[in-house]
Amino acid sequence: MPGPYVYTVWFVCTLLEAAVVVCAVRKNAFRRYLLLNLYMAASVVASIARYNILSHYGYSSKEYLYFYYYSDFLLTIALFFALTTLYSQIFAELEVGRYIRTGAMVLLSGTALFSYAVVQQSSSRLVTHFVVEISQNLYFVGLVLTYVLWGAVLKLRETRTRLIQLILSIGVYFSMFAANYALQNLYQSRASIFEYLPQLFGCFLAFSWAYAFWRIPEEARTVPARLAVVPR
Amino acid sequence: MSRKLAVILLAMLVLVGAMSLKTVVVAHGNGSVILANGGAPAPPIPWDNGGAPAPPIPWDNGKGPQQPMPGK
Repeated sequence: MPGPYVYTVWFVCTLLEAAVVVCAVRKNAFRRYLLLNLYMAASVVASIARYNILSHYGYSSKEYLYFYYYSDFLLTIALFFALTTLYSQIFAELEVGRYIRTGAMVLLSGTALFSYAVVQQSSSRLVTHFVVEISQNLYFVGLVLTYVLWGAVLKLRETRTRLIQLILSIGVYFSMFAANYALQNLYQSRASIFEYLPQLFGCFLAFSWAYAFWRIPEEARTVPARLAVVPR
Repeated sequence: MSRKLAVILLAMLVLVGAMSLKTVVVAHGNGSVILANGGAPAPPIPWDNGGAPAPPIPWDNGKGPQQPMPGK
């Protein structure tokens, strides 16, 4: 059964997710970053529904288990499409929106096919296996896509500070989960420490996006390309 | 047409890269999954078979000396 720490972090995380949407609405950025905000709104709804099911049926119940993984699957797909809208913003001047949408659909279909190929030998709980597998695979696809996007930001010399902050936040967010997973397996004797960290990481993305919408104006500019070029 | 093919090629390259990364990361893992959405506590996956050590694979021939290759 989760302790007070888990509930506290979960509550703070949900508040921060709601804060992202509120900040975006207050700063007139909701429509510009529509899918990002819809993802955060969906996270808030999922958190509330998860809490209801957890308190009603219990942590070890099948109801919570199924709802958790199926809602996670939907949220991961929402985050994937939110990421593609960041691609659309970065490549807006090249007018390749149609190609980005095509690429996103090909990538999603490929990931679904790959996931099905992995789990098709499972005789029981095939759909649940598939849902967990595709969520995890989309997580890794998102990780690679974010780094590719950061490369595009540097190459195209993108200067919009808020957009850069949003992209870097996702990159750090994904990387923290991967690093935590690696450290957890490297230091298995201290695995309990690393089990508590992913919840905090969940708060990081919401906090960072809320900060980006609240504190960084749309007109703000920075030069990230200078970070990658070493002057001689 | 070529642009569409280039997009499909790029998508496939990203997919291959992501799955390779996943294979590297998860191959040394303990069977748990990486999920990155929200702060809700993740329930244990139902097909996690506990922490018992995995038995040796039956087609492993042990640590004995390998037979010489017929061509050498």
